[in-house]
Amino acid sequence: MNSLIKLEITRALRNRKFLFFSVIYPSALFLLIAGSADDHTKVPGTGLTMPTFFMVSMASFGALTAVLMGNSERIAKERESGWVRQLRLTPLPGRGYVFAKTASAAVISLPSIVIVFVVAAAVKNVRLDVWQWFALTGVIWAGSLVFAALGVAIGYLASGDAVRPITMIVYFGLSMLGGLWMPTTTFPDWLQSIAKWLPTHAYAALGQAIELGNAPHAKDIAILAVSFALFAGGAAWLYRKDTLKA
Amino acid sequence: MDTMTTTAATTTTSVVRFESVTKSYGDVRAVDGLTLELHPGETVALLGPNGAGKSTTLDLLLGLKNADSGTVRVFGTGPREAIVAGRVGAMLQSGGLMDEVTVGELVKLACDLHPRPYRADEVLARASIAQIADRKVNKLSGGQAQRVRFALATAGDSDLIVLDEPTTGMDVTARQAFWATMREQADQGRTVLFATHYLEEADAIADRVLVLHRGRLLADGTAAEIKAKAGARRVSFDLEGTIEEAPLRALPFLTSITVSKSGSGQTVRIQSSDADATVHALYGLGVYPRNLEVAGLGLEQAFVAITEAEEATLAAEEAASK
Repeated sequence: MNSLIKLEITRALRNRKFLFFSVIYPSALFLLIAGSADDHTKVPGTGLTMPTFFMVSMASFGALTAVLMGNSERIAKERESGWVRQLRLTPLPGRGYVFAKTASAAVISLPSIVIVFVVAAAVKNVRLDVWQWFALTGVIWAGSLVFAALGVAIGYLASGDAVRPITMIVYFGLSMLGGLWMPTTTFPDWLQSIAKWLPTHAYAALGQAIELGNAPHAKDIAILAVSFALFAGGAAWLYRKDTLKA
Repeated sequence: MDTMTTTAATTTTSVVRFESVTKSYGDVRAVDGLTLELHPGETVALLGPNGAGKSTTLDLLLGLKNADSGTVRVFGTGPREAIVAGRVGAMLQSGGLMDEVTVGELVKLACDLHPRPYRADEVLARASIAQIADRKVNKLSGGQAQRVRFALATAGDSDLIVLDEPTTGMDVTARQAFWATMREQADQGRTVLFATHYLEEADAIADRVLVLHRGRLLADGTAAEIKAKAGARRVSFDLEGTIEEAPLRALPFLTSITVSKSGSGQTVRIQSSDADATVHALYGLGVYPRNLEVAGLGLEQAFVAITEAEEATLAAEEAASK
């Protein structure tokens, strides 16, 4: 399985478009949104300054992009091309393919998180304790697994022309409604009450809690855990269905 | 006691064993009560027209599909176990390739995944793709992609090689080179099973030919035997005036005949298992056939001819037993 993971990573690193969108784009977006904000204005209802707030949002967004896009479109495409079938003629266990995809996506998502942090610290003077930097990286990286599982599920659910629009709707919907692009406190009340249950909202909330020097809220962890169980369960079910159909 | 020893012996010596295997898609029975056995070292062609159930049979053999009923055993175990043990190498028509990687990287991956791998450079050389090892997989021609699939199927020391219409997309030269390589594999004692719809290909390569039609095993024998069965020819000619049909029906090796009116005479269409002898006897009748044509039957028609022959035999046997 290691050689498949290695090859998946090599191939992801070769794909410039994918690298741009998952590694550079979140940092660029951070500068665009938070670049003109001053370093002291607090985002209402969060206790965080604009740059710190958006640093976590964009790092989460970058990781989400890498794992969701990396999995869904590729899996759908490779199911269609018959590569998944070809792999089933090797001793590689079926889950090995999904595992290799997720592992390679995670390798790409790490730099996308770190680059947002570096840009935020260098350009917008975001200052945190050493433990906070490490905790943020760890939490955002680990949390991206939830969306990797969602990507796998979409990859086995949709095929052909449908996969891109479905991925885009889920991706933009979750990013926007979850408050990765703008604080949910700017939403109308009814939308806020929906947004706070979204996994992306809980995902960003983990990082925000750490920035405030707190432990993440149990509710957010629970939302992410339940989402992960749902997505991974759905992915496993769709995978088995696809295998029987093949 | 005797039966038990026999069972144990056949389990160890059979490479592939299908017993009353059935697989349907909705109302269509793709494989219908198929029973067959492959022995070590054989090169076997699975011959049949499109839609005969060849691909489904191979999918069942490789564990890509599960049978509705019946059992499929490969080296005495389930198909998946045999693949995990690295005993089966396979090349499918529908097998895709990972894109955005090079041919060399992909073959290396296949070698790494095999429990008893060959060296990647050997595999590349054997499949004659060493010179395109640095090319991206998505930039290959159809024939080149087919050779890469072959390389993936032979990345390690497997005992059975399964190929689904392997020469699709290859030109004549590539085809010959491909079968030469394949023969080397067989000469090393491997069992080779390939699906094809070319009788000539089966004839040239295989020791044994299994003819599949509508999901059932229609014939099982050497290529020569199958050719004799499927080698029926069609003879057609015109005769002036009215003629007696009885002597025509009595022509040797005739399997079917139709006489239809055309202009002032008749057109006669005959199917014969030995056209030379039939035509020779035809002249012996003292008639003057015009526009005489002798042509081979297409494979599809040949299968129909075999089916009809089998059904006739069955009917005759039934009648005799009454």
